[in-house]
Amino acid sequence: MTSIQMPQLGETIVEGTILKWLKREGDSVDRDEPLFEISTDKVDTEVPSPVAGTVRKILVDEGTTVPVGTALMEIDEPGAAAPDAASGGAASSPASGAAPTTEPASETSGGAASSEGSSAAPPAAAPVAPAAASAPAAEAVATVPDRGPRSQILSPLVRRLAKEHDLDLAQIPGTGSGGRITKADVMAVISSGEARATAGAAAPTIAPAQPMPAPSAGIGDEVVPVSHIRRAIAEHMLASTQGTARAWTMVEVNVDHLVKLRERVKDAFQERYGIKITYLPMVVRATVDALLEYPDVNARLDGENIVRHRFVNMGIAVSYDAGLIVPVVKGADGMNTIGVARSIADLAARARAHQLQPDEVQGATFTITNPGPYGSVASVPIINQPNVGILSFDAIVKRPVVIDDAIAIRSMVNISMSWDHRVIDGELATRFLARVKQNLESWDFAEDLGA
Amino acid sequence: MPVPAWLIRPGTVPYDVANAAMHRLAELRLDDEIPDTVILLEHPPVFTAGRRAKVDELLWSPEEVEARGGLVRMIDRGGSFTYHGPGQVVGYPILGLGSRPDAVDYLRRLEEAVIRICADVGVASERRADVQTGVWVGDDKICAIGVRLMRARVTLHGFALNCETDLSWFRGIVACGLPEHGPTSLSDQLGRRVSVADVLPLAERHLSEVFDLSFQPAPGEFVSPFQVADAV
Repeated sequence: MTSIQMPQLGETIVEGTILKWLKREGDSVDRDEPLFEISTDKVDTEVPSPVAGTVRKILVDEGTTVPVGTALMEIDEPGAAAPDAASGGAASSPASGAAPTTEPASETSGGAASSEGSSAAPPAAAPVAPAAASAPAAEAVATVPDRGPRSQILSPLVRRLAKEHDLDLAQIPGTGSGGRITKADVMAVISSGEARATAGAAAPTIAPAQPMPAPSAGIGDEVVPVSHIRRAIAEHMLASTQGTARAWTMVEVNVDHLVKLRERVKDAFQERYGIKITYLPMVVRATVDALLEYPDVNARLDGENIVRHRFVNMGIAVSYDAGLIVPVVKGADGMNTIGVARSIADLAARARAHQLQPDEVQGATFTITNPGPYGSVASVPIINQPNVGILSFDAIVKRPVVIDDAIAIRSMVNISMSWDHRVIDGELATRFLARVKQNLESWDFAEDLGA
Repeated sequence: MPVPAWLIRPGTVPYDVANAAMHRLAELRLDDEIPDTVILLEHPPVFTAGRRAKVDELLWSPEEVEARGGLVRMIDRGGSFTYHGPGQVVGYPILGLGSRPDAVDYLRRLEEAVIRICADVGVASERRADVQTGVWVGDDKICAIGVRLMRARVTLHGFALNCETDLSWFRGIVACGLPEHGPTSLSDQLGRRVSVADVLPLAERHLSEVFDLSFQPAPGEFVSPFQVADAV
């Protein structure tokens, strides 16, 4: 049984208030899972569990202020086997499971944990094990700085080595500056052959009480944590679907002459401007003209007002390794097709190299997505709020079409728009798309492309 | 030797966007996926209430706050009500305090950095241990501080230093739960304009010195969550 006490979060702090219990009696807890929140003067903190187990008893009510060191909670560990196994590998300290009993997260127990410093090392749990047993750790204590973050900064190499060898970094004493784990530390563990044993022993402690996807993932499933950019996209998409009245309209566009034009000029264009000419800049130009003609589509809803933008900043959806990002062609209404092409090529390249500046993904007044290269012939995109429309330019395909009551083969493309019915109605959406269609079918881009 | 750290200066960011992005960074810091990171930004007008705030410390009705273009947010930091708005430098250090989290030491360092910033522009400020955490000019508070520790070891939230803040907003709350103390700003103290742009480089330098950090710009993917419309 482990007793959890009011931690001392600073020398001069003598008491703390239990703000909220995050676990109830009978709940199971993981190591490092938050147990409760406390408040002291201007600092609130979560207090994590030093051990995995089951909450046996809660000793203090919410809202109570108690002195540092007061016992607050009792946790039963399942047979003490799990935590011992977890720390047993490299540190080989049988005392580790019981160690936190004395002073979780306290001043005195902290130092050694810094020397271990790793993502997996909960400060409250790890400390006493190496202090009790391991010589390298004790050495490191002496060099630990006032604050420990440098001990927690791991080089990519150390991280990769640990991952490749299934090492639990919590079990590796750091001998580098400030207790940092160095490559040599990791190599020492690998060569000592303890790697596999440690990993094998550690696994059971994580698995049983993991509340996240682990239980539903069967053999043959791969569990990948949601990246922050994935989460940002998810939240943005969900907020849009929940916050807009989305409708969708599509037109068919005959782009036969554009296909022929591109074939004719593409080599010369590449040679002259150093970039490939695609259809996207032409679509952007045709859309910019339609946005200027129908400013309610180039707008946003702002409370009681519709704000029409007198300029066009065109967001271009770009997929890259981390997900999806929308760099913005600023002032697209002042550019010719070459200018748009250059801008898109530059933004897309830098997006994929993770080099966009913050202001380059801000301020779009309308957005275009271009799933065509992957073969889609019709898409229903989600509106990039606060825009009121997003235009999808899909794949150009040769189709039989009726022209003057005869069947002909033409290069056709579907251009569609998801639009926010709170601001736009169907007639406007259709007129807008018809304008885009008319522009693409009637404009001669040859001159604009310098051909 | 200073520790490599990231600096994020995204400009003016709506409170909810910044708050969510900050929490995500703290989770990454907790997992050692990122180094110590400091965010320096401005917010549009918003009243935020820490866990210790009392409802009657918001003096304006929610409708009144909204009519003035402000928001009210109940959040997870320590302390009571405060105000953020244009003309104020808000700093959110996301720092790993290591396994010996000394929250008091952290607060004192935050105050120290702010005191040095004030001194650089010519305002003598001080701690008021007899009153409350924060940075004061006499009886008036120039910088509010409120912090949360994630898992007792990674810092969240931070400080708000008034440069040329419209102080009339503070009439909407009992700031920091102290009815007898008022707010002040650098511009207010000096009788000349001290802008956020003036203070940002000072904040960067003194936070770097006080916390022994060597700042580099954060990679774009960690900055983009602070942008409002960043994905389709």
